[in-house]
Amino acid sequence: MSSSNKRQSVLPRMPAGPKAPVNFSSSITIADSALLAGKHTINIGSESVVHPRARLDSALGRITIGRRCVVHERTSLGAAPASAPASDPTILNTQGGVTIGDYATLEVGAVVEAGGTVVGEGCVVGIGCRIGSGAKLGKHCTLTPLSEIQPGEEVPDFTVVYSNGTRRLDRRGITELKHKAQARQIEVLKRLIPSNPTKFQ
Amino acid sequence: MASFTPYTYIQCPCHDTTTTTTTTSQSRPAEDAPSPTSPHSSDDDDDDHNFDPRAPRSNYSLYPLEYLLWCDVCHQIRCPRCVAEELVTIYCPNCLFEVASSSLKTEGNRCTRSCFQCPICIGPLAVQSLESAPEPSLLSADNANTATTPAGPWILSCSYCNWNSSEIGVKFDKPQGIFAQLQKLRHGEDSHSKHAVGGDTSPTKTDSVAATMKARFSAMRSFYSAQNAIANPSSGLGDYGFSSPGALSRIMSIYSGNNAGSHKQKSKGTMTREADSASEGFRALDLDDSSAVSQLRRDGWDSTVIGDQAKSQVEEGARFAEELWPIPYLLRTKRSKRCPVCRHIISKPESKVANTRFRMRLVANTTIPSISIKPFNPPPALLKPLQPVQYLLTFRNPLFDEVKVTLATPATTPGRFASRVTVLCPQFQMDPSTESGMYLVDDALKDDNKDIQGRRRRGTEGGTHQAEAGKIWERGHNWVTIVVEVVPASLSLEAPPALLRKEGEPEPDLSPLKEDEDVLEIPMFVRLEWEGDVSHDQMSTSTGKEKDAREKKELAYWCTIGIGRISQE
Repeated sequence: MSSSNKRQSVLPRMPAGPKAPVNFSSSITIADSALLAGKHTINIGSESVVHPRARLDSALGRITIGRRCVVHERTSLGAAPASAPASDPTILNTQGGVTIGDYATLEVGAVVEAGGTVVGEGCVVGIGCRIGSGAKLGKHCTLTPLSEIQPGEEVPDFTVVYSNGTRRLDRRGITELKHKAQARQIEVLKRLIPSNPTKFQ
Repeated sequence: MASFTPYTYIQCPCHDTTTTTTTTSQSRPAEDAPSPTSPHSSDDDDDDHNFDPRAPRSNYSLYPLEYLLWCDVCHQIRCPRCVAEELVTIYCPNCLFEVASSSLKTEGNRCTRSCFQCPICIGPLAVQSLESAPEPSLLSADNANTATTPAGPWILSCSYCNWNSSEIGVKFDKPQGIFAQLQKLRHGEDSHSKHAVGGDTSPTKTDSVAATMKARFSAMRSFYSAQNAIANPSSGLGDYGFSSPGALSRIMSIYSGNNAGSHKQKSKGTMTREADSASEGFRALDLDDSSAVSQLRRDGWDSTVIGDQAKSQVEEGARFAEELWPIPYLLRTKRSKRCPVCRHIISKPESKVANTRFRMRLVANTTIPSISIKPFNPPPALLKPLQPVQYLLTFRNPLFDEVKVTLATPATTPGRFASRVTVLCPQFQMDPSTESGMYLVDDALKDDNKDIQGRRRRGTEGGTHQAEAGKIWERGHNWVTIVVEVVPASLSLEAPPALLRKEGEPEPDLSPLKEDEDVLEIPMFVRLEWEGDVSHDQMSTSTGKEKDAREKKELAYWCTIGIGRISQE
């Protein structure tokens, strides 16, 4: 069986615009089918992993991903903000991208809106979470699946957001262990995901 | 508000067990007092008194068809409220381990294995090891390592909200028998030393830990039983223990009458005293909340518990997050259900925990026709007052026999706002249900034809009034659709003119609209008649000599049909 037998997508292909300017570390793992678009620079730090079909859109601002981050499938970084909060509609006008700290994990289907959004070091953004435009997550936060962070919100360090937005502090004190585990996971992912950074450069 | 799903609730016959007993034995006027809302309640022992779905008592006897069971022997509907339940299996929902009822009596109704719920988010807790370092290893990669060399203390941790038991200073020596270890930590001698981990320990906290309910109760019980033993020989006139010599001498002294006065004084001297020390289970209420206040100041809102967390705790009284303990899973039961009258089992689950099947389950929708409601015309969001609306009621026969249905509704719905109801075809026959696919195909074809015809008819006549009185609207192989016409009442609250009011009639209720009073509910009396197989108990007596004997069967019940909300203009 040749690959031509594969079912082709019925959707029109992505407009083959100019490639987004990228600045990759030499040790990253990025899948061939990741989607990178936009006119601002996309920086990815050393040993980070970008899964297939993750979408990185730098149309509204620069995207910076720190070291040893894992960006899972179908996550969307730098997505256009869904809606402006009624209290402060000016938030949307601020140009700005997305900054992801070191050792962060963005799980499947998470959306990080553009507009100066920051995901702190060691955060775990759960499946299907949405982080609003301009929100700032502190270090080592955990968002349980389907949590939402409102635009412009600031979340303190070590916060756990669970059960429809209830919050508590994570007092486990296991950041070192988490870092170690993240490094191990990345080692495995490196072997599993065929990397093709040259496609985007 | 705008969306309303029509519903049918069926009344279980258990609602009027009291009224049936009153006709035979004594009457209870308090129970049978006519309610001011129902017009027919003056003749309350009458068979045809109307059922009011809005009466407060109706709430307890109305059920959706799916909830109802069926007793084959009594030939009657049984609801979850009137069946007698028996425990078949007691098990833990987490580990699915069956618990014997004898151990239930000694160890309580919670799982005594290592099944715990997170006190913060009620997620399941997992036992995990702490490494030699104070950090717990919560991640799978590290766990694999420690699994080979299990070491160090163990903790319970929640993988959802990241709570772990080291937050309240609880660590375990071994990964097995967590329940016993936790009991020991909580009620044992360790309870004081344990909380030293948390820094300053408030006096309220150590108190509540030391004197738990169970310990206090047992202390109190032993104290008072000792007191009773002292007091009983010289107890008052009320309870004579004739076997005891003390009581005997007391009786003698009463009859002799010599030293009664002195004896009384003596008996006062040996009165029972109340518990007054901690060893006797006494606990003074600590009114000094300063430590709690200072803790609240220091840790803020986040350190307090929310109501749900406090309620799900095994022992009450937790106020701060660090007083929350892991919750052992509450055991669950599988129950069999018996008919309250004939004691026959009508529902019995498989006794194995993991098996979700039923050995026996007689449900009502194998006998009672289901009723579905559809508006005749595409409905407006709310019913317009005083404008007739037609609804299609579809009855579907689950029986393999032809069923004759008779419907009856009061002309006006009970309650303050009386809507007019007309069932255009109150009597009809339903063909038997069959499992054969042929009929279904037939039915589908028929349906198509009907649909076309119906549309054609609607096209030619164009009006809404094609429904004829006394005729079935549509029929399928085991279902019948009839038309019900409703004239919703006006919800305006105006007193009727004084001239029209009769002498002695009660003052009309002009209070504002109550909750759900704008819902139009039709009480409907359904009577079914069919010829079925002879029921089981009679079969056994006749020793099955007439296998194909038929007998006439009859079933009647009230149901209530929720049609929609009336607009409040």
